[in-house]
Amino acid sequence: MSRRFRFYEKKRGDRRTGSKRFGNVGEALFFGFFLVVGCLALWAMGSVLVVPEWRANRHFAETTCMVLEKHVGHSSEAESPRFRPEIEIEYSVDGHTYRRTTYDATGLYSISREPADAVLDRFEVGNEYPCWYDPMDPGRAVLVLGYSGWLYLSLLVPGSFIAISTRRLIFIWLNWGTSAERRSVMSRRAAELDPFEESRGAALANVPSDANWTNSPGTHLAYRLPIAATPGWTLFALLAACLIWNGIVTAFVVMAVRTHLAGQPDWFLTAFVIPFVVIGILLVGYLVRQGLITAGVGATRLEISNHPLYPGGEYEVFISQAGRFTLTSLNLFLVCQERATYRQGTDTRTDTCTVYRQCVFTVENVELEDHKPFDGRCRLDIPASAMHSFNSDHNEIGWKLVVRGCVASRPNYERDFPVLVHPPAAQSPRA
Amino acid sequence: MSEPQIELVLAGEQQRYQAGETLSGHYRLLNIAARDVRAVELSVLWYTEGTGDEDLAVHFFDRFEPATRAIEICQPQYFGTQLPASPLSYAGQIVKIFWCVRVRLFLTQGKDLIVERPIQIGNVAAAQEVQE
Repeated sequence: MSRRFRFYEKKRGDRRTGSKRFGNVGEALFFGFFLVVGCLALWAMGSVLVVPEWRANRHFAETTCMVLEKHVGHSSEAESPRFRPEIEIEYSVDGHTYRRTTYDATGLYSISREPADAVLDRFEVGNEYPCWYDPMDPGRAVLVLGYSGWLYLSLLVPGSFIAISTRRLIFIWLNWGTSAERRSVMSRRAAELDPFEESRGAALANVPSDANWTNSPGTHLAYRLPIAATPGWTLFALLAACLIWNGIVTAFVVMAVRTHLAGQPDWFLTAFVIPFVVIGILLVGYLVRQGLITAGVGATRLEISNHPLYPGGEYEVFISQAGRFTLTSLNLFLVCQERATYRQGTDTRTDTCTVYRQCVFTVENVELEDHKPFDGRCRLDIPASAMHSFNSDHNEIGWKLVVRGCVASRPNYERDFPVLVHPPAAQSPRA
Repeated sequence: MSEPQIELVLAGEQQRYQAGETLSGHYRLLNIAARDVRAVELSVLWYTEGTGDEDLAVHFFDRFEPATRAIEICQPQYFGTQLPASPLSYAGQIVKIFWCVRVRLFLTQGKDLIVERPIQIGNVAAAQEVQE
């Protein structure tokens, strides 16, 4: 048994992981439970709502009845009182006289009494009204036909339970006893059938497309490189975070201050708020710092002689730095970073590790003036044994050019310009 | 009767390949009858190791079930495929990419048996962590 069905299996490396088969059994039981619940709920709702109304509208025969008595019925089952109209009628079918208390086919209660009163007002005791009886059981009759309309939306609840559970159970069934390799092939074939999925040649699997890099021509060299994150958007996100945080903290600060002004200081609230105020102040400080960098440094522009890059290739880079300040130093680095994403409990975490960092350009003590940006050129060599850019679901290897500026009496700044390194075998004649 | 075995042989017992090269070889099932085999899968694949969750993709895949393909179960089954340009084998710090040829034998009694041969594609240097 233990060989066939293990709770834990050994993963590659030194980490232990849960048994796939055990996980599948647990998942199947979980979704099987919700499938049963969904089916029972759908059956119950169908028998209470759908079938009675459908039968009344399609099969009941019309006749005439006399109203004998009317009142509002109360439900004693629910915690809060519920109401429905109850009208006692008398009608004849094939010489037999029937007496029944009824109104509609479902007999559902309402949380409000007013609709029941409004219905009763439409019927007078002693008067005759049309009614519809069940030919198969003449003792059953209703005073109104029609469907409950919006009540049918409630069928979406058990319907969604059934749809989601069934979909997952089919997935588990299809993957039961299926190897990881076969699952990978099946998902690849499914992706190939997706009309919205970008079609890429199998020659460069898991290498990002360079479409976003080569659609912006440069003025000095072939291509202008896109920046990783626009400083303006970064600043906007920081401003939004700062406003939300400090807005919430201000509400608590006001509450704390009021207790002090009223002569009944709430020291617990005051002590509770202080660390949040400190974080808010730090956020404001960081926002001001980023604002100074964004507003004061000016645009950084990088252009490159060719793209994508290849291991062993030599390229020319043009760097331009605008602004009005003194640059203590300006450096350009070629950087390669690994990025790994993993799940830890319910959290998804990402680790990064820099595995290559080479300074390709440096200049010191540059005075920048309005309308006269600093322009420089340098050579960029990609190591012959470099790994190409790689991107899969949880792992990534990325290359970038990093501009690092040290500015006199201002915070230093860094700006990233991702580049793509393709594998050598994919080299085209233009490289 | 002895335990079932899988013999997997790569042409020339080669381990290092370049992108675009042809990888070929054969495998053979030993000590097993056709009625005991539910399916056999041959894959040429890469997978990741390291800090991140495992990613896996299959470059070449062949599956046969004795019930649907009339072959002599113990005869060598030959395969060949042209290796892709990417991804190349890589020994990084938190991301590692490994290539291998894997044969997976599914037995009718429920167990499966795996044999794999690691291969290297390309000449990418091992990476070392660099301090910022």
